[in-house]
Amino acid sequence: MKEDAPLLEVRNLVKHFHVGGGLFGGRAGVVRAVDGVSFAIRRGETLGLVGESGCGKTTVGRCLLQLERPTSGQVLFEGRDLTTLDEDELRPIRRRVQVIFQDPYSSLNPRMTVGQILAEPLMVHDIVTDRERRGQRVRELLSHVGLLAQHAHRYPHQLSGGQRQRVGIARALAVEPALIVCDEPVSALDVSIQAQIINLLEDLQAGFGLTYLFVAHDLSVVRHISDRVAVMYLGKIVEITDRKSLYDVPRHPYTKALLSAVPIPDPALEGQRERVVLGGEVPSPLNPPAGCAFHPRCPIAIDRCRAEGPELREIGPGHRAACILA
Amino acid sequence: MLHSAGVSTLLSVENLQTHFVTRSGVVRAVDDVSWDVEEGETVALVGESGCGKSVSALSIMRLVAGPAGRIVGGRVLFKGRDILKLSEEEMRRVRGREIGMVFQEPMTSLNPVLSIGRQLTEGLEIHLGMTPADARRRAAELLGMVGIPDPERRLAQYPHQFSGGMRQRMMIAMALACKPSLILADEPTTALDVTIQAQILELMKDLSRRFGVAMLIITHNLGVVARYADRVNVMYAGRIIERGSARELYARPRHPYTLGLLRSVPRLDEPRRARLDPIEGQPPDLTRLPPGCAFTPRCAFSVARCGVESPPLAAVDQGGHVSACWEAAHLDRVPVRSAAT
Repeated sequence: MKEDAPLLEVRNLVKHFHVGGGLFGGRAGVVRAVDGVSFAIRRGETLGLVGESGCGKTTVGRCLLQLERPTSGQVLFEGRDLTTLDEDELRPIRRRVQVIFQDPYSSLNPRMTVGQILAEPLMVHDIVTDRERRGQRVRELLSHVGLLAQHAHRYPHQLSGGQRQRVGIARALAVEPALIVCDEPVSALDVSIQAQIINLLEDLQAGFGLTYLFVAHDLSVVRHISDRVAVMYLGKIVEITDRKSLYDVPRHPYTKALLSAVPIPDPALEGQRERVVLGGEVPSPLNPPAGCAFHPRCPIAIDRCRAEGPELREIGPGHRAACILA
Repeated sequence: MLHSAGVSTLLSVENLQTHFVTRSGVVRAVDDVSWDVEEGETVALVGESGCGKSVSALSIMRLVAGPAGRIVGGRVLFKGRDILKLSEEEMRRVRGREIGMVFQEPMTSLNPVLSIGRQLTEGLEIHLGMTPADARRRAAELLGMVGIPDPERRLAQYPHQFSGGMRQRMMIAMALACKPSLILADEPTTALDVTIQAQILELMKDLSRRFGVAMLIITHNLGVVARYADRVNVMYAGRIIERGSARELYARPRHPYTLGLLRSVPRLDEPRRARLDPIEGQPPDLTRLPPGCAFTPRCAFSVARCGVESPPLAAVDQGGHVSACWEAAHLDRVPVRSAAT
């Protein structure tokens, strides 16, 4: 494989969920959670994936891991299409692609000690078969994430939220992955702890050459950690580019509105700031609007937007936006 | 808000103490805390989980869950009356009528089997003695006021037919229904998306100005508070550790915890920093607080005295800015914004 080939490439990913029509006879429908998403992540890079609840960003992450099987499209990891592999073939891939969840409490087994939680993947994947060496590896993992050897004997409920997230990160690291899908990894944590975890993720990336897909709704955090950023709205990417362009010269009206909605912790600045407050709400993905899905809330929509779904097109070097007016 | 003549104190919390009895000991969730809200003013209680901000709000409404939780000391003067001394009957008239409430998760605070209309008219009929027809007219008016389109039709619907943002609008309509003089909002936008957050906050600010309602906003989000609060109280481990006007507190924090919070968050208006500046260590375990100042183990500025003696809230200027830190006088040389790279 060529050095500059992307580690991961997603091509025209689609995931539809069928709902309703059940026992109570609701009308059956199709939720277009992910509706034709394409992007690539280079080795060692962090791609931020942002959007509001229901935009499909978490489903994209789950489709990469094949925790959800996509309806159509390809997920090429190191050149292999994961959507064509069966569970047996996926097992070795799962060592290479890991995930960190938002709520470390519900993703850690409450009846296992931290030591057992970290030893489990080492056994399952036959990474360290010797018991004593496994203990050593667990201690090593704990120190990588800033925990002490004695934390191995604790249960998740005896740890603080930040410490639990560190355990979640150590568990992902245990199998020496190449790519980690970070699904809102700091949004459940206290503000004073978020910065600790972000710094840790960055240190680990530098130390182990990790690649991240960073799924989040907090645009300030995403700007800090990402090299490139994709913005999703109703199952589609509406803008994708490098960090600097996205935050300095956003081109899609939805990106602009999102950025303008982020509060800045400075009363003097906030007092002068003009806000673009979007009217309306995110429409249901069961029944998305015709044309551009954003047009009912868009401050600059014209007649054509109601009829025509815009393509995600190149508007500058490495900068793509799905808006006919961008 | 200026403390000029003619503005009077609406709510005054004095030496409030709320304790919880747990298996691992007594938790002083609110530990001898005093603060106030002037008429028409917006005051914030800011802090992280477990700092006592929500228990403070529950204490004021006398909704602390017993028998584990109990208000063990202090006074809560609302319009000069100590509401901790009211009978349960009198207290019910304060809740909803004189003090409106907006909570974080509107779905859990709305009744799923009552129509939107009924939930709005109930308070109007009970508290204000309106006839069902008048109450219904007023309910439609309230829904329109909080920006819910087609209010007549919406009155017949149920909470599950409303989106998260609309439910929060409905909560605000309920809180305003009886023309209260204070609205208590506990993390009013935390469960909402950014674009909806902005809508709800602008709405609350607009309504509080139009009707001269005072607001107490409880939040962990420093950004939210910056735009909407006149004064800010920062809580840590059950105590207020700093208070000041929003402008003063954000520009010149005089407690290491406030300073640390402001420095730790990445900001969109600043150049991106190479590295974030976190507050080290873990939030305190309230059953095992260290002696002296509870922030000492995480504090970059602590001196020997901090581990022994708890600092009182003391004035750092003439304008009502107070800080509970022995080293407050030395913090004015520390920049809030670290050098960008």
